[in-house]
Amino acid sequence: MIRTIASLASLALLSGGAALAHHGWGSYDAAHPVTVAGPILSSKYENPHATLTVRGSDSKVWTVTLAPTSRMSTRGANDKIVAVGKNVSAFGYPSTVEKDEMRAERITVDGKTYEMR
Amino acid sequence: MEHEAPAIFVALEQSGFAAAIRQSGWLYPLANVGHIVALVVFAGAVTAMDVRLLGGLAATNPGRLIGQARWVAILAFAVMVVTGAMLFAAEASHLVVNPMLQLKAVLLVAGLLNIAMFELWGKQAVVGFAPAAPTPKRAKVAGGLSLAMWLAVAACGRSIAYF
Repeated sequence: MIRTIASLASLALLSGGAALAHHGWGSYDAAHPVTVAGPILSSKYENPHATLTVRGSDSKVWTVTLAPTSRMSTRGANDKIVAVGKNVSAFGYPSTVEKDEMRAERITVDGKTYEMR
Repeated sequence: MEHEAPAIFVALEQSGFAAAIRQSGWLYPLANVGHIVALVVFAGAVTAMDVRLLGGLAATNPGRLIGQARWVAILAFAVMVVTGAMLFAAEASHLVVNPMLQLKAVLLVAGLLNIAMFELWGKQAVVGFAPAAPTPKRAKVAGGLSLAMWLAVAACGRSIAYF
């Protein structure tokens, strides 16, 4: 027990400097929304949130965070829709922590718009 | 500033177990809902025990109340361990460097240690107590600490999403 505490405590101390490595839902800049439009380069249709990489018109490669897969499927945005090679337009909020990452409020594929919230 | 997670947590996230949880449409939501429902049951049982140690619910026999509520808490805790392991594995490399997850882990161990200390030094002091008799100070301390630590564990758990 004591050893467990000691190792957990040292883990916490060691990784203390890494506190900024991840971020939660609070770290998006809702005051400055962006639209990323372009081809889907990769697609992870996975929980807790599906993610895409998209080459934007600024030729930056964005990581686009979507929604839980069950919600997306229910709304018709299944893995055939957010598939590699499709063109997507994602409106959302850029991360204040992670470079070139954004959380999509809604996406449009093949002329159809899907809400992510 | 990106920091690398320790290799063992990267390996856990890349394991078939973790991938299965991410790729399934229902496993992750099931674990998430199960974790919260078990927390509600756990919190109820823990609160009843801790309030009794603090001197509330005075009409009850403390030994019997703890003896019964404890099994509810243990069962709910077991469900939280399983569902929590699933949620953690799916995103292990991110979660392990999350400050709220780290604080939660430390508080969790402290809460378990508090139970162990109560078993060793506190329990005998209340087991034979009649209803309405005031609980001894060490029982009050154990109950107060327990309530504070488990509520903090829950608060940290929910806060992981915002850090």
